[in-house]
Amino acid sequence: MSPEALSNLALVSQPFPPNQSCCRCRYLAKLSSVGSISEEETCEKLKGLIQRQVQMCKRNLEVMDSVRRGAQLAIEECQYQFRNRRWNCSTLDTLPVFGKVVTQGTREAAFVYAISSAGVAFAVTRACSSGELDKCGCDRTVQGGSPQGFQWSGCSDNIAYGVAFSQSFVDVRERSKGASSNRALMNLHNNEAGRKAILNNMRVECKCHGVSGSCEFKTCWKAMPPFRKVGNVLKEKFDGATEVEQSEIGSTKVLVPKNSQFKPHTDEDLVYLDSSPDFCDHDLKNGVLGTSGRQCNKTSKAIDGCELMCCGRGFHTDEVEVVERCSCKFHWCCSVKCKPCHRVVEIHTCR
Amino acid sequence: MAGAIIENMSTKKLCIVGGILLVFQVIAFLVGGLIAPSPTTAVPYMSVKCIDVRKNHHKTKWLMPWGPNHCEKLKDFDEAVSRQIEANDIVFAVHIPLPSKEMSPWFQFMLFIMQLDIAFKMDNDLKENAEITLDVSLAYRDDMFDDWKEIAHAIEIRKLKCTFGSPKTLESEGRHYDCDFLPFMEIGSVAHKYYLLNIRLPVNERKGINVGIGEIKDIRLVGIHQNGGFTKVWFAMKTFLTPSILIIMIWYWRRITLMTRAPVLLEKVIFALGISMTFINIPVEWFSIGFDWTWMLLFGDIRQGIFYAMLLSFWIIFCGEHMMDQNERNRLSGYWKQVGPIAVGSFCLFIFDMCERGVQLKNPFYSIWTTEVGTELAMAFIIVAGICLCLYFLFLCFMVFQVFRNISGKQSSLPAMSKARRLHYEGLIFRFKFLMLITLACAAMTVIFFIVSQVTEGHWKWGDITIQVNSAFFTGIYGMWNLYVFALMFLYAPSHKNYGEDQSNGDLGVNSGEELQLTTTITHVDGPTEVYKLARKEAQE
Repeated sequence: MSPEALSNLALVSQPFPPNQSCCRCRYLAKLSSVGSISEEETCEKLKGLIQRQVQMCKRNLEVMDSVRRGAQLAIEECQYQFRNRRWNCSTLDTLPVFGKVVTQGTREAAFVYAISSAGVAFAVTRACSSGELDKCGCDRTVQGGSPQGFQWSGCSDNIAYGVAFSQSFVDVRERSKGASSNRALMNLHNNEAGRKAILNNMRVECKCHGVSGSCEFKTCWKAMPPFRKVGNVLKEKFDGATEVEQSEIGSTKVLVPKNSQFKPHTDEDLVYLDSSPDFCDHDLKNGVLGTSGRQCNKTSKAIDGCELMCCGRGFHTDEVEVVERCSCKFHWCCSVKCKPCHRVVEIHTCR
Repeated sequence: MAGAIIENMSTKKLCIVGGILLVFQVIAFLVGGLIAPSPTTAVPYMSVKCIDVRKNHHKTKWLMPWGPNHCEKLKDFDEAVSRQIEANDIVFAVHIPLPSKEMSPWFQFMLFIMQLDIAFKMDNDLKENAEITLDVSLAYRDDMFDDWKEIAHAIEIRKLKCTFGSPKTLESEGRHYDCDFLPFMEIGSVAHKYYLLNIRLPVNERKGINVGIGEIKDIRLVGIHQNGGFTKVWFAMKTFLTPSILIIMIWYWRRITLMTRAPVLLEKVIFALGISMTFINIPVEWFSIGFDWTWMLLFGDIRQGIFYAMLLSFWIIFCGEHMMDQNERNRLSGYWKQVGPIAVGSFCLFIFDMCERGVQLKNPFYSIWTTEVGTELAMAFIIVAGICLCLYFLFLCFMVFQVFRNISGKQSSLPAMSKARRLHYEGLIFRFKFLMLITLACAAMTVIFFIVSQVTEGHWKWGDITIQVNSAFFTGIYGMWNLYVFALMFLYAPSHKNYGEDQSNGDLGVNSGEELQLTTTITHVDGPTEVYKLARKEAQE
């Protein structure tokens, strides 16, 4: 799924995707697999982006690679977090990539929006630190982007740039519609919650470097959490997501919890409008793959257990011989020398 | 040191002097808080994974992470596996600074710490007490199109201290270990515009090098340097303070030499304190803008150390000289018990600093904390220094207690004394209490500001005004101790006035040029000269 990552992202943040034929989307997939987005024309060929995003793409060509990587990261993380659930964040070859599940205002959509905007912020910030982007940090500070500013007082954190870029690139879809529909409000909120999941989990690290290493001089900085951590945080928010409805306070429209007994959600919480389907049956029209053929855990009573996963349809049990790697010798990178070990395992698959 | 200026000064004048000093103190804080940026900046760097394709033919030695001649990059290590690239062919490259920026001599120093992102894998777990061997080299250039010139190359071993928060099951594969950051590099001058780091992690299974260090995902560095703006404000402050202290020092010494007697110990110590303050103040750092003097960091440490040692010695001697008991002191050897710990402690810290920053002059990647023996040695030095400091403070507290006991003893017998003796003791007591007060105030300010700057984040905002707390702390405290030394030399310089001049009128005028030598050391007034002098004085009255 990685080649179509960029299109995924574009579609992820698109509530009502145009009905496009499959050929076009394959073309997109091919396009991004060719390599980096290095020419302005490429931006126009990226379907799924709205006009304002195409303009941003042209203006920030060097950042687009990171956007694509961020989308990829988001999808991988989503699939990791949902590997044991009925909906496993599977992407389709057709448009929209996540199926209609995500185009409705469900919990799952909330998660996908949040992790995507977080992924973009994360990848852009990372690219800043590795020197791939020219105008991080310093550009957005009060001191200005001249080398003088860097020499006088250093630059602001790269995360500020990453988040700001994610805000302007991802949120522009919703904002361009005037941000008044409840879907737009929900998406904007969840996008922001995704970025907050990074910002609020930044680790503060300090180094003492005074006389003889004393803490007379101490410098602190903020380090980004690993993306797995961001995924875990958002998964928790997914589990505790708040169902909301639109309400008008004065002339501004806001989302408030449907059940007024619940305490109002914060900036970091995920919100959703519609309840999710049960994801049991194969329903291509809505992009639901269904759980038949999925592996399940016989002993578990949780959602990955066969009982729940197979929606009561029962399961097959097969004895399969698997070849595993064992007594491996690893290097820190790249080289693995293992012996093949054969093992017979029971695999349960849903009917 | 009889008849210091402070004793003969009217309260009004004292208040004026105090007020002026306070104004300067506030200015010192404001200069740091409002003009200067935060003292240091931390820049995060993500190393780029380059493939060293040249193998044995040495075309270019240096691999650039970005720019026109950048290396062949790996996106992640899965790519390396599929392309069958070995660990030994991978070079982590970091260019300092980030694109479209330049380093500057105003940064004064650079230090780097290293953070390893190690992912947990069930079958590739991190070994207990794992050690990582780094083959690092550092190069510089001053022009974007020059060749890189090597500064240092070293093979360094660092201990990995990592913990894993989750249970080590298949579920948590891919999560990162929580590793302490490693000290990586320290340079005492930033004389060049561009720096390049190439880091290799060579694997040698036979020798057990870089085996069992888990699956390394990324190497991140954090570079810390002083902000140019802070350096400029700091230099300006030093350049302003040097002549002020120098002038008062010369004035002070001239006053002492004008007297007929030889200077007493306390006067010498105050003068020495002035010298050590000037030694810190002299802005030799200006040279670091033009020259590549990496030893400046070490030199700065030494200068600070000398001042601290001098200040601590001064407090002890000041207490001793105001003891008002029957002992003859007035020489340094009388204080060996108290000054000894200071000397030992400072010496320990000096050795430690030489072992750390001294060796770093040769090898910027060196750190004493990386080896077991080094850590123990460093800890030993620091602990000895700590013990010495505790010992010192015990002595100091005891001495202060003794002085107060003697003061209360003397105070009860004051009315019975002759006028000259009474005034002498009252002067001593006032002098002591005054210094006690301002010393405590200064120490308290230092401690409070230190804690505040440690606890709060770097800056406070009031509307549009941003106050840099850390910078204010540095300039404010630095200014404060300068004012302390300044005030000390001014107020404790020998007075040309005589006791009682304020009270009597006219008939004592003949005495005004004469110095009454009631040295603090011979406090019991029975020495022949003292008797003679007092007799003469009384006769005149």
